Amino acid sequence: MAEIVGVLGVTHNPLMWASLRDTVPPDLAEVAANFERLRSQVAGLRPDVIVMVASDHFHMLTMANMPAFLIGKAPEMRAGHPNEKRVFGLEATMVPGDPGLGAHILGGSDLASGFDFSFSDEPWIDHSFLVPLLLLTPELDIPVVPVFSNCNAPPIPVAARFAALGSYLAEAIASFPSARRVLLVGSGHLAHELGGPRQFLGESPDPDFDEKAVSWMAGGDLQGAVASTSFLRLTEAGNESYQFLNFIACLAATGGRQAVMAEGTPTRFGNLPFFSWDMT
Amino acid sequence: MSRYLVNKLMWEVDRSDEALARFKEDPAAFLHDWESLAERPVPPYPDGGHLTDIERAALGTRDYGALYAMGANPFLLWQFARSVSVPEEMSIEKLISSFREAVAPYGYPDFHT
Repeated sequence: MAEIVGVLGVTHNPLMWASLRDTVPPDLAEVAANFERLRSQVAGLRPDVIVMVASDHFHMLTMANMPAFLIGKAPEMRAGHPNEKRVFGLEATMVPGDPGLGAHILGGSDLASGFDFSFSDEPWIDHSFLVPLLLLTPELDIPVVPVFSNCNAPPIPVAARFAALGSYLAEAIASFPSARRVLLVGSGHLAHELGGPRQFLGESPDPDFDEKAVSWMAGGDLQGAVASTSFLRLTEAGNESYQFLNFIACLAATGGRQAVMAEGTPTRFGNLPFFSWDMT
Repeated sequence: MSRYLVNKLMWEVDRSDEALARFKEDPAAFLHDWESLAERPVPPYPDGGHLTDIERAALGTRDYGALYAMGANPFLLWQFARSVSVPEEMSIEKLISSFREAVAPYGYPDFHT
């Protein structure tokens, strides 16, 4: 039987990633240290597969065809898109997948889960998946089951739905008949804005939200998190803050455990999220 | 306003180096071709799949404030702005400050499509 051996929630900010590539600038030292800490944690957990909840940024999915939640099930998938190379220097690559686990999460032969996921046999992941993978597992040698959530094109699923997603993922993984050590990773933001009046402020657009968000994770307060993250409240935190919802899925997957690591690390890009749950 | 069409155009310009080069070279010609050729959604969207005069003007002159106020998707708008304006037209620092100035009066417009 498969088991979740660890749950993480991290930033995927591509500008942060680009800034860390060569030498670590002083203001990102803490971020680099956090990723190093999580990288050795991941190595110690020896995962066979990574199930990752992240939000495509109009690379694979557009308003022409926008699913709320989509599971990628392919033995191998493309990662990185041409405009990400042009803007961030993110090189396109290939990432291994786990179609068996992906199909199982989808619901088997008859979409029996009740979750009614969309699926893709040709997922093409973007920086929301690739940046955390490069920072947590630089060899990109661990198969990935991408779970795409729509956090960029409203209407966006409500927070309770992300909580249900997390609980469902935990159940589905636990019922997979083959042995797998599964690492669950959520990718997202705290308060974050792009393309609005508060982008690139050099600090968080909503420190109060960040403080509460970290406390929900540290305290295992799933109910508080769900109750306080409506579309409007998240917009107040910044027009890209909807991706915080991916962390609610992580919290729910743990059954509402207290995170052993929960912080919004202050940087020029705002407070960057780092969450980790001990599943032993 | 057809937010869908404006978003689609901005997305298509940003995602391909070739489209971006054509847009930068001659925005008006790009918009004309885009509206006349196969990139338009089929079946057509409101207004026969055409941009309105206001949308066409805002895209052609890179009027980011107007596009933002119309409810263009902020993420796609920023991607588009950075790709078409930097570095030829202005530095990234200049774009960040002028973009902020342009969108600030409009707060947070609805951007559902």
